[in-house]
Amino acid sequence: MLTILSALCNIGLALVLAPLFEGVIRKITAIVQSRKGPPIFQPYMDIAKLLIKDDIEVGSVPVMQRFSALLSLAAMLCVVLFVPITGHAPLSRSADSIQMIYLLSLAGIAVLLAGLSAGSTYSLIGMSREMMAMMTLEPLFAVTVVMAAVKAGSLRLDAVFFGAVYQGGVSSGLLMLGVMLFALQAFVGRAPFDVTEAETEIMEGPLMEYSGPKLALFKYSHMIKLFVYAGLFTALFVPRIATGVRILDVLVFIACQIGLVLLVTLVSATHARYRIDQVVRYYAMLFLAAIGCLSLSLFGL
Amino acid sequence: MSLVSKIKEAVLCLKAGRVTLSYPANPKPVPERFRGRPVFDPQKCIGCAGCANNCPAREILISDKCQEIRVVKYIGRRCTYCGRCADLCPEKAITMSKEYENASENIRDIAQDLDIWMGTCQRCGRCFKAGGVLDKLMMNGYREDDCEGELWIYKSRAYLDNNRITDDIEITVD
Amino acid sequence: MKAREIVDQIDKRFASAVVRTDIPRDNRLIVYINRESLRDVATYLFCDCDARYCVGIGIDDREVSGGYLVSHDFAFDRGNVLVCLIVSMPESDPTLPSISDIIPAAGWSEREMRDLVGITPAGMTNPKRLVLPDGWPENLHPLRKDVPWNIKPKDYDPTKTYPFDAPPPNTTVVPFGPFHPTLDEPEHFRLFVEGEIIRGCEYRGFMVHRGIEKLADSVMTYNEIPMLAERICGICGCVHAVTYAQAVEQAAAIKPSLRSEFIRTIMLEIERLHSHMLWVGLASHILGFDTLFMQAFRIREPIMWMSEKITGNRKTYALCLIGGVRWDITPELKADLINVLNKLEKEWTGVFNAIKGDKNIQARSRGIGVADKQLVKAMGLLGPIARSAGVAIDARRDHPYAAYDKVEFDVVTADTADVWGRIVVRTLEVFESIRIIRQCLNIMPEGPIINEPQSELASGRIGLSSVEAPRGEAHHFVMTGENNRPHRWRVRAPTYQNLQGIPAMIKDQRLADMTITLGSIDPCFSCTDRMEIVDIQTGEMKIWRPKNDIVNKKDIKVVVRKHV
Repeated sequence: MLTILSALCNIGLALVLAPLFEGVIRKITAIVQSRKGPPIFQPYMDIAKLLIKDDIEVGSVPVMQRFSALLSLAAMLCVVLFVPITGHAPLSRSADSIQMIYLLSLAGIAVLLAGLSAGSTYSLIGMSREMMAMMTLEPLFAVTVVMAAVKAGSLRLDAVFFGAVYQGGVSSGLLMLGVMLFALQAFVGRAPFDVTEAETEIMEGPLMEYSGPKLALFKYSHMIKLFVYAGLFTALFVPRIATGVRILDVLVFIACQIGLVLLVTLVSATHARYRIDQVVRYYAMLFLAAIGCLSLSLFGL
Repeated sequence: MSLVSKIKEAVLCLKAGRVTLSYPANPKPVPERFRGRPVFDPQKCIGCAGCANNCPAREILISDKCQEIRVVKYIGRRCTYCGRCADLCPEKAITMSKEYENASENIRDIAQDLDIWMGTCQRCGRCFKAGGVLDKLMMNGYREDDCEGELWIYKSRAYLDNNRITDDIEITVD
Repeated sequence: MKAREIVDQIDKRFASAVVRTDIPRDNRLIVYINRESLRDVATYLFCDCDARYCVGIGIDDREVSGGYLVSHDFAFDRGNVLVCLIVSMPESDPTLPSISDIIPAAGWSEREMRDLVGITPAGMTNPKRLVLPDGWPENLHPLRKDVPWNIKPKDYDPTKTYPFDAPPPNTTVVPFGPFHPTLDEPEHFRLFVEGEIIRGCEYRGFMVHRGIEKLADSVMTYNEIPMLAERICGICGCVHAVTYAQAVEQAAAIKPSLRSEFIRTIMLEIERLHSHMLWVGLASHILGFDTLFMQAFRIREPIMWMSEKITGNRKTYALCLIGGVRWDITPELKADLINVLNKLEKEWTGVFNAIKGDKNIQARSRGIGVADKQLVKAMGLLGPIARSAGVAIDARRDHPYAAYDKVEFDVVTADTADVWGRIVVRTLEVFESIRIIRQCLNIMPEGPIINEPQSELASGRIGLSSVEAPRGEAHHFVMTGENNRPHRWRVRAPTYQNLQGIPAMIKDQRLADMTITLGSIDPCFSCTDRMEIVDIQTGEMKIWRPKNDIVNKKDIKVVVRKHV
């Protein structure tokens, strides 16, 4: 019973807060660009507007188009259930970190399916870029979780979260924190790593043929991705702060997420977009650094 | 690394403040020489057709109803607001106003019709001297055969050649 | 070399080539030569004398001399001479030898004269249509004098498509345009891509062809054409109006008033300022760096307000008339302009200092879109592209016009020949422009702003004018005519030459770098396609469709209609 309530609470918070985070990003980007920018609640209105439009299906395989849109939001919402905003991840008794890792990949696969279903040259190019980026990036997250699991001695979610990376040896945890901060921008797919939806180069890439409600689903899942990754980072690297009052814990968690969102915003506002080969090289370097941290942790550092 | 450059860029951006103007809530005033919609003053117009002769977009048409009445019609649909008509008018009857919000669904909102009561020169009918060598008028006087059937002439000069260009361009005046 | 020397040299080497010579002034040479000697003389000028090829013009001269004329224009940048090499052909045989194998830069000019005037150069390297749409009937050449300017051809065939080259082996075709978010105007690059690397490219453009030269020939008069000319381009409008006015003034031997020359110089430099700042913003938008885009436009805005104060409009200045200008710069405007320039200089220095060390931008622009000196010479590339490769050509210094011979400025060059070099060149040229405007404001004499011609302009005279637009050299050719209008007016915008270099610049580069390479030539397609376009027969846009179109035709219709 408590699990179900906690799950609903997580999903509700994600659905409500994710567009707010996006609105904050847009507002701060506008301030950096010396303009007024849209109101903070604009993403809510954008999604509402997209939902009321005509639902058009184009491309070579319309069923796949529908399926990938639904899959992307569904997979993201599942991952939301792994974020311990309320102190415990709702799925902590039924799932462990391995499922978390591959559900995250599933959300990325939804974008690949979207690109395939459109079948046009530009969406295929975007899809191949997304595939390359995913293959080099997802293992990075896996390495972090594995390091936390090795230190904690178990793959259970309760054990892996809340600063388990610092157990045993603080330095490898701190190094891993540094590596992951450099990679945060890449995980949420924003400048300078928004190479898959490079609007000016390949016309929105895999999402090219999407409009109306299906685009709303993709946009929503993109916003929730930011929420989820900020939440998972906070969960992995910020040790548990127990104030005793449940609501305050939740608010502190959300405050940490907002801090990460601000970091993402500032980096995305001040950088140009990198090319796919530069991006893949960067991810590979980060991966090697992460492996290095993992090895350090095995030596007890 | 480019961290220093990024910090310099960020400082540049934040020092500038926000520059968005709240148009159309607060209309932005335009400078004195702004070339908006031309406004024709029928009191001052003498019907010389200098504006019609020199409008590059050919938006000013002339039609003589009879010996005494000439109609000057400004359609305004393809007007480029260049201001040549205002430059050339010998009586300064045309002013380039400051209005730039001229979009409308009905062409008649922008069109201006002037009915000019003409005086005749004793020697030749109607004679006007205007402008320099490159801007001179070609329609020198009222002639019976100039305006049969209420023809609209947009370039008084073209009419004097034998091909009436009014035939093969669609000038919809309504 | 001076004009007289050039023609003497030609006479010496190629006996009986020269039929007639006109030297209207020291820096203009008009040579009429025989058809048969065209290739030899052109090779001599291009290869031995190291002249630059400007443009090739086809003229229907049947009403005057009974035949056709072709003029190949060359520029001697170091000697300040512009040369017209004119060949005349009888009406029954409008052909002449092609020079596009010797001078690749002449490729488009020859295709255009074949499409529009019906003059066929024998032995063209690429005999496909350039300007006319695919369904246009054969043997209907719009620029001939007997074809009305508003003709709607009855046998237009909407099913015909463009015969593209076959792609090289192992490559897929990626169509780029006519609809693409980065491009402001429609054009089509058919890219042959292997993975992410571009192996080849074919260009099909001229979709915003508007009939400007035909209108000027048929229905507009001398003083109306500047209003048309400034609408050739969305950014360098003043350039085309000034170049046209100068060409007519040179043809008719009219001297514009001195104050008006200074005002023209000031407005041209103001235009260069706003164009370069716009380009920096656009290039950074293409690279995904929207912040620099917004900041560049913010810094640029006061210049636009200043133009509005001086001329009445932000961009279409309606400035030029034959013999002078229409707007004067009063002392209040001068003080205002000086304030704006001071503030601009300060802010732009800040921008330059911030981006010159930025590795993030350099990672996306170094080594991209390389156009080295050989390509610049062969294709006749102009403006910042040539200057970023180290070739210091600048029409303001090489062929001085307006008041440029009375002010001092430097020609900015870089030596990296890539997109980063072009960014640096354009950013630094902003400072040079500010310097020129300040000098002009200081030494501008009092006096009338227009020197109206007192008599009719003689017909049959040829005038040439080269002006440095922000994108390169804009070159106009005017042959005066009867009835208060030119007999032939040819506009050669700088993008016309620069686009011909694009296939070589994007070869063996990644697809992602295609847009920034295209953006680095600062393409102005409306400048390039200036002539009569597709019919409006049924009220529907007849557009050329790529074979693997990725957008439905109904989408293209909606988008392209904006450009008519």
